[in-house]
Amino acid sequence: MLKANFLQVTRKNAFHVSRIIREEITGAEGPIAQVSKLSKDQLKKRELRRFTIRKREAKMPATSHPLYMQVPQALRFLRAAEVGQPLSQQTINLTTLVVSEKGSPNLAGDIAFVTPLKEVKIAIFTNDETQMKIAKEKFNCYVVGGSELISKIKNGEIEVDFDKAFATPDIVQELGSVARILGPRGVFPSIKKGTVSENVEDLIKGNLGSIPFRQLGNCISVAIGKCNFSDRQILENLISVRKAFKDSVSTQKTKKPSILGKTILSTTHGPGIVIDFS
Amino acid sequence: MSSIGKQLKFLNKISLTTKPTQILINPDKYHGLKLTFQFQNHNGHMGARKFWREYLPTLKFYNPELNIDVVRIKNEDRNNVSVPCVMEITSKTGTPLATIDMRNKRDSEIVTEFLGKIQHTVIPEEDLIKV
Repeated sequence: MLKANFLQVTRKNAFHVSRIIREEITGAEGPIAQVSKLSKDQLKKRELRRFTIRKREAKMPATSHPLYMQVPQALRFLRAAEVGQPLSQQTINLTTLVVSEKGSPNLAGDIAFVTPLKEVKIAIFTNDETQMKIAKEKFNCYVVGGSELISKIKNGEIEVDFDKAFATPDIVQELGSVARILGPRGVFPSIKKGTVSENVEDLIKGNLGSIPFRQLGNCISVAIGKCNFSDRQILENLISVRKAFKDSVSTQKTKKPSILGKTILSTTHGPGIVIDFS
Repeated sequence: MSSIGKQLKFLNKISLTTKPTQILINPDKYHGLKLTFQFQNHNGHMGARKFWREYLPTLKFYNPELNIDVVRIKNEDRNNVSVPCVMEITSKTGTPLATIDMRNKRDSEIVTEFLGKIQHTVIPEEDLIKV
């Protein structure tokens, strides 16, 4: 017992000493700040070089990649890798690399899946009684409410686990207080995105059964199915995803539209396999 | 998994390099397998887990019709030996055709016992898929 204690103490000391020595060597306190030795000009050149490499790679055919496979064979491998795992974890997902010019807006849009993975949860923000009634009774929306719903989200009483949110114009100003909670999750209703309207019914009808996606960093990643889906179902979903991605590229407001690059099919525990997406 | 070489090795392990379970099972006769064992390794449950990890992906790859269920039970108590460690081979009608006790056995021993209890045909070398 005593010996163990002693060892523990010495280990702790050793750790402290090594830390002190390291700090002395680097001459910095806390985490070491990474400062590049390259000049501004060189950094710019490097960025340009990397961009051209990514662009060239994106234009190469998928068949030239060593991990390329036909979709049915890829699914066979993924299902094998996922064997015995609980079904809730056997999700097949698709990642597409995006090469975009600096400053061009991120890709985003909606995918209308043929076989959806889950029900789309819709939230409605409105103070209008009749609109509330329509949303509740006709469409059975996940959460419906006005000012009191906003204050509940603000206090953390209601979790933000819905996929889409719509609002009527009378409540938009109040929504500003929860913008920091809804915004990062992509469920902040705004006129610019077309999710604010006097008539909630039309909004819901136009968006029922479609799941939103958006570009994060250099890629778009979406879940397209479960391992127990048939090959046909997954291929149908893949085609609808491709349509949605291409639509978002064609409607992008920029002079130089982004390029869709390498596409990888993967599962929760499985490997990533390159497929031909174009 | 980052490097392409590593990924190819992983894929080939499923389809090419795991020899014992490169077999074809008649889907009309057998419905699937059901394995039950612990999350934890103690009380001789390690072989069952290794069998699942090492050999079942290959079996599933060459027999996509086969239903493979793995039930893992949490048991932190080392003195509790009541958790079963068995594999059941079920028929189309749902009746168990054979049961294999996997407790205190290595994964390679479980494979040989499994192959002895199930009718199968070995896949010839030229039909194996290489990535």
